[in-house]
Amino acid sequence: MSWRADLIATWAFALRNLQMASRNVFLLFELLFWPVQGVLMIGLMARFFEMTPEQTSFILIGQIAFSTVSVCQLDVAYAVLYDVWSKSVKHQFLAPVGVRHLTLGAWLVGVLRGLIVFALLALCGHWAFGFNPFHAGLVPTMIFLAGCFLTGWAVSVFVCTLIMRLGAKAETAAWASVNFVLTLSGMYYSIAVLPGPVAAVAAAIPLTYFLDAYRAYYGFRAEFSSPLLMGLALAAVYIALSHWAMVSAVRSARRSGLLLKMSE
Amino acid sequence: MLAIDARDVRKTFRSGFIRRRETVALAGVSLGVPRGAIFGLLGPNGAGKTTLLSIFATLLLPDSGQVTVLGHDLVRDATAVRRRLNMASGNASFVWAMRPPEILAFYGRLYGLSGRTLRRRVDELLETAELTEHRRVAYNELSTGLKQRLALAKALVNEPELLFLDEPTLGLDPDVSVRLREHVARLRRERGVTILLTTHYMREAEQLCDEIAFIKSGRVLARGTAAELKRQIRVGDVITMRLDPPSAPGLADMAGVLRCDTVDGRIRCTVDDAEKRLPEILAALHADGAVVRDLQVREPELEEVFVELAR
Repeated sequence: MSWRADLIATWAFALRNLQMASRNVFLLFELLFWPVQGVLMIGLMARFFEMTPEQTSFILIGQIAFSTVSVCQLDVAYAVLYDVWSKSVKHQFLAPVGVRHLTLGAWLVGVLRGLIVFALLALCGHWAFGFNPFHAGLVPTMIFLAGCFLTGWAVSVFVCTLIMRLGAKAETAAWASVNFVLTLSGMYYSIAVLPGPVAAVAAAIPLTYFLDAYRAYYGFRAEFSSPLLMGLALAAVYIALSHWAMVSAVRSARRSGLLLKMSE
Repeated sequence: MLAIDARDVRKTFRSGFIRRRETVALAGVSLGVPRGAIFGLLGPNGAGKTTLLSIFATLLLPDSGQVTVLGHDLVRDATAVRRRLNMASGNASFVWAMRPPEILAFYGRLYGLSGRTLRRRVDELLETAELTEHRRVAYNELSTGLKQRLALAKALVNEPELLFLDEPTLGLDPDVSVRLREHVARLRRERGVTILLTTHYMREAEQLCDEIAFIKSGRVLARGTAAELKRQIRVGDVITMRLDPPSAPGLADMAGVLRCDTVDGRIRCTVDDAEKRLPEILAALHADGAVVRDLQVREPELEEVFVELAR
């Protein structure tokens, strides 16, 4: 496949996600209502407990990361779920495209929507609770966001893999997985408070390192040395692993007939 | 030259974790589909038609056997095969909120089309499928006939050399079915597209297909043109008569008479060979003093061949 055809196929998935997002009220809620509600609730809780500005920033960062990763990863999951829900899975796998086109195209829209959510929540946090998202500086903020998006990619491709292995019954993973990951990676707390074996699992999640690095700019002691390097390395490993798992799941679905069962 | 050359294709579906169940879908199918032909796959429900079609379309991997599609090995060169084929099903489905041009453009892009070429192709297909006036209607608001036409249009988006049609006229009004059949015939005539078709409508198979294969329990039981199949599967010729007096009790016992019954006051005899048996029957009726008021001889319908094979 030529690089041009690769780009066009990737754009096809990106455009479809944009078209679907533009005509679905539920997706608007996903983008505006839940994230803003989450930041307001967490911020108000911090105010009630009379937390310091640093502590408030600490938990707001966790909440903002949760919404950003969540919105980003859902877009990739939707790229498969739209076809599962409409029973049209086979049409896209009949075409000469690969898993990379689907995931990359949908992820780009996820990044776009994730950026909107981040900007909105940062603005909301600043307005309501004096949170300064750029306290760390532009570059660290961008790296933190990149970490969120890369984590979102890996998580979502694993979700797509589950759907291709188990069918529509695995769709709840699309919403549950990001909660699971954020709980482990220290959404509102340092992973030092986690029990030993759970902390070990947390240390294997890239987002843990990106949160750690970003929060260090807000006056919290970093748990890890070279967190950014670790985070990026882990994200690369998981993205490669999830891609391989998805390719293998599609092949398995072609063998078992699940691809047909999920169609028409 | 063959568009599809399949040899000893086998496929078994396995299900259940604790109590493992196995269903043999294809038990060694060998089939050659000539280039530029319209080839029909007929058979009862669960015969393996869709499984075979899905294997040829690279949607399903065979357990064993060898399949070459348009000169490519189906398993090793699946991507190369996919560029040159497409498929439409009778109960096709697409993402509910998308509109016909968006659906066609989405799949067009998956085949590498873009810009003006894509726009032109989408417009052409919308026009051919008579969907232009429905271009702003969401997919789930289209009627069954329009959805089917869109499915066929989508299947032509990459100008395939090989087209799979899985029960394309399922549930359509007769006039829409006729138009769709004409369109399929035109595709072969004007563009030389090889078409592999599954259908439950015998008339459709007889009208469209150059060759037909009957599949049952994952095996090809017979193949040939509709006329050849009627000759191969001797279900007999049918002689229908109106007699005066309206009964002839001795006919059923005559040599070569396979079946004899009365339908709507007419005697209907199925015989092994009408050319040979008709003079004998007429002689016997004359000897009994019966007068033949009306008489018709016809070859068996493809449907009768189907029933005989499916039995």
